[in-house]
Amino acid sequence: MGDTQYLYSAILLLALCVVICRTGYLVFGHYFPLPPKLRSALRYAPLAALAAIIVPDVLPWTAQTGPQFDLKFLAAGVSVVVFLVTRNGLLVILSGMLALWSLRGLLVLF
Amino acid sequence: MSDLLTTPSSLSALREQKRAAFLLGLRAIAPGLVALTIWGLVTGVAMSRSGLNDQTAIVMSLLVYAGSAQLTALPLIAAGAPLWLIFAAGIIVNLRFVIFGAALHPYFKDLPWAKRLFMGYLAVDIAFVAFMPRFHDAPRKGTLEQHWFFLGAVIPSWFLWQLTSMIGISLGNVVPVSWSIDFAATLALLALMLPLANTRPIILSVLAAAAVAWVAQTLPLRLGLLAAVLVGIVVGMWAEAKLAVRGRA
Repeated sequence: MGDTQYLYSAILLLALCVVICRTGYLVFGHYFPLPPKLRSALRYAPLAALAAIIVPDVLPWTAQTGPQFDLKFLAAGVSVVVFLVTRNGLLVILSGMLALWSLRGLLVLF
Repeated sequence: MSDLLTTPSSLSALREQKRAAFLLGLRAIAPGLVALTIWGLVTGVAMSRSGLNDQTAIVMSLLVYAGSAQLTALPLIAAGAPLWLIFAAGIIVNLRFVIFGAALHPYFKDLPWAKRLFMGYLAVDIAFVAFMPRFHDAPRKGTLEQHWFFLGAVIPSWFLWQLTSMIGISLGNVVPVSWSIDFAATLALLALMLPLANTRPIILSVLAAAAVAWVAQTLPLRLGLLAAVLVGIVVGMWAEAKLAVRGRA
């Protein structure tokens, strides 16, 4: 696929994107001070990003088919309940996987 | 230089302090490492399936070190898209890191620029999630503990990502797709998120971000993710102000 020069140019450009976005503010941020209130609001960014990574996996929506219901949503619900009861991260992962596999098994049976 | 005056015993105390902070960072990111392991495998498999040869895939993993950018670029590269388009897509997918960088700036601003470059390059999502909630209210920003906590989160992440990507590249396709093992990565992120969603403004912000992410997920280039982060920040600020007012009344 592709010639070597194209491939390596693409890889180097992607690496450049990562360096610019991840380090840009850290290296040159002195020149762009943010108001303290806005800076404090950035504390909401990490969990918002996590939620935005999780949601499309458990509730997919494609341009062709519209919103989809996925058993992963129910499985994730089970693992949230398990977290509220146990406060254990590993159990969140295990219960979610077991819930997904059992729900799929049930669907096949009935 | 005050370093010249430090005695051997305070040097070893310093080393102990760094080690303890490093281990705390490692512990904070542990659930994230489960997600990283699975994603590394998935990204490695995707790279080898897209037709990259092993050598190119390994170079990509080592240099780019960004799962979402790699997964976005692979179909573009396979289609022979122009380089400027690959660059533009890479920038847009990574825009959220500009926000992360602005949030991390107070903690690293007094380091020499080469170290800021190093820390920033390694600042992946899960490291940011492990770091920010813990030190957001720290009275002093930029302490030794904070730097070594961060290193304890990002250095194991880098090595684990490279290891699992390479396993993914060489395995190609061993685990059947029907097992949905990638769902374990999503659950691991959930396990990372749930304990941190512990105040009302944060919960409201997460719910708003989730709603935007649901509706906006059909947008290309992970723009939905960026929109969700921005809305999450705005709603969090709004809820904080609103609840503070009600608390005083």
